[in-house]
Amino acid sequence: MLKNPLLVVALIITASIAIWGIVDTQGLANFAAKLVGAQFSSRAWFIMLTVSFLLIISIWLAISRYGSIKLGKDDDEPEFATLSWLAMLFSAGMGVGLLYWGTAEPLSHYLLVSDYENSNKAASISLFLTNFHWGFHAWAIYAMTGLVIAYFSFRLGCPSLISSPIIKVFGKTRLPRTIGWLIDLMAIVAIAIGLGGSVAMGVFQVKEGIDVLFQLKDTGMGLTMGVFVVLCLTYILPLTVELGKGMVLLSNAAMIVAGTLLIYLLLVGPTSFLMGGIVQGLGEYLGSFLVHGFTTFTFMDDRIGGWFQSWTLTYMLWWLAWAPFVGVFIARISKGRTIREFVCCVVLVPTAFSILWFGVFGGIGFYDIQSGELPILDVVRDNISGVTFYVLEQFPLSSLTIAGVVIAAFLFLVTSVVSAAFVLAMFSTGGDLNPSTKVKLSWGFVLGALGLAMILSGSIDAVKSIIALGALPFVFIILLLVVCFLKALKTERI
Amino acid sequence: MSNIVDTIMNIEVFIFIGILIWLYFKPDDNDSPKN
Repeated sequence: MLKNPLLVVALIITASIAIWGIVDTQGLANFAAKLVGAQFSSRAWFIMLTVSFLLIISIWLAISRYGSIKLGKDDDEPEFATLSWLAMLFSAGMGVGLLYWGTAEPLSHYLLVSDYENSNKAASISLFLTNFHWGFHAWAIYAMTGLVIAYFSFRLGCPSLISSPIIKVFGKTRLPRTIGWLIDLMAIVAIAIGLGGSVAMGVFQVKEGIDVLFQLKDTGMGLTMGVFVVLCLTYILPLTVELGKGMVLLSNAAMIVAGTLLIYLLLVGPTSFLMGGIVQGLGEYLGSFLVHGFTTFTFMDDRIGGWFQSWTLTYMLWWLAWAPFVGVFIARISKGRTIREFVCCVVLVPTAFSILWFGVFGGIGFYDIQSGELPILDVVRDNISGVTFYVLEQFPLSSLTIAGVVIAAFLFLVTSVVSAAFVLAMFSTGGDLNPSTKVKLSWGFVLGALGLAMILSGSIDAVKSIIALGALPFVFIILLLVVCFLKALKTERI
Repeated sequence: MSNIVDTIMNIEVFIFIGILIWLYFKPDDNDSPKN
C-alpha cells in the first residue's frame, strides 16, 4: 500500500483536510468560502460557459453520426436491462439530495424572488430555477464525464481512470503522464470532499427525521453524532466484501421508496394543483433552459449576485465534484450502449424525474403558501433540514412516510459511501478493478472523517463551500477530457 | 477583490482555452505525411 505514491499523497491530502476541519471547523469553512468566493466572482462566466458547452456538445453527439458508435466492441450488448440501468444511474447521481431539497430548494428561492416579483410569478420562477439546477446541465456534466471514461475504457481498452484519455491521446511521454497523475489526484480529492459533504447532509436529514418521528426535542449534536456512528458501523461490512449485486439491490430499494413516496404525495396531496404546476414547470423549463445556461446575473444587484453564487454556481460545481465518481459508475454499467442511447437516457430521463419530483414536493410547498394556513416559509428559514418532514406531517400515514424518507436517506448514504470508497480505491491503485480491502477501508475511514469535519461545521452553507473548493479544478479537467474525446472520435471510421 | 487578481485569474482562463483549442487542432505525430 505504501509503495503507491498516488495513494499515499491522496490519503495525506484528504486526511489533512479532514483533520483541519475537525480541529478548526470555522477556519476551514472560512478558507473555503474565501477561495471559492474569489473564483466565483472572477470566473462565473467561465463556469456557466463550460456547463452550457457540455450540454451543447452532448446534444450534438446524440444527433451526429458519432451517435451510432458503441461504448465497447461493435458486437458488445448492454449488460443491464434498460429500466434497472436508469434506476442505478439516477440513484448514483442524485440520491440523498432530492430527499433533502425537494421542498426546501424551491421555497428557499421563493424567499428571495418574492421580494422582486408578485407571489404567483415568484413561485413559477422558483420552480424553474430548481429544475434548472437539477436538470439537463447537471446531467450533461455526468454524461460527458461518463461517456469519455466509458469510450476510452471499453472501446479503446484503457484503464478506468480520469487520466487515461490524456495519456492515450497525448502519448506516454513525461508531460502527459505528470498531468495525468495530478488529474487523478485532484479527482480523488474532489470525490472524497464531495462525498464527505453528502454524508454530512444525509446525517443532518436522518437526525431531523428521527427527531420528528419520535417527537424528540433539543437532541442537538448528540443524536447527530449517534446517527453518524451508526452510519460508519453500517458501511464497514459492505467494504470488506466484494462490490456485487447487493449494492445494486440497496440502491434500487432506495429508489423504489423514493418513487412510491412521490406517487403517494401526488395522489393524497392537491393532485390537480400539483399536476398543473408540473406541466407549467416543464413548459417553462423547456422554453428557457438553454438561454438560462448562459445567464450570469451580471447586471443585477449584489443580493441576486450572492444568491447566484451560493446556489447556481455552487450546484454546478457540486455536480462537477461528483462527476468523476458518478461518471466512473455510470460508465461501468453502460458497456455495450451506443453514444446516442447513452446521452439521451442519461440526460433526459433523470431530468424528467427531477421535474416530477420538484413539481410535487415544491408544489405542495407553494400550495401551503397560497393557502396561508401553515408557516412553511418560517420552517425554511429556521430549519432547512426539517422541511421535507414538515411537508410529510401534513398528510395521512405521516409516521410511515417519514420512516420511509429516513430509511431511503440512510440507504442512499450507505450505498454512496461504499461505492465512493470503491471508486477511490480503484483510482488510487492505478485502475485495479478489485482493490484490496485494506485500501477500501482506508478510504471508508477518510470519507467518515471528512463527513465528521463537515458535520461539525453544523451549517449547510459551510458544507456547500467546502464541496465547491474540492471541485474547482474540475472545470478545467473536464474540458481537457472532452478535447481528448473529440480528438479520439476523429479517428473513428463511420 | 483587487482588479489585478481578477485580471490574472481571467488571463489564466484565456490561456487555458487557447491551449485547448491548440490541442484540438494540433496534428498528431502519427498523422504526419512521413508515416
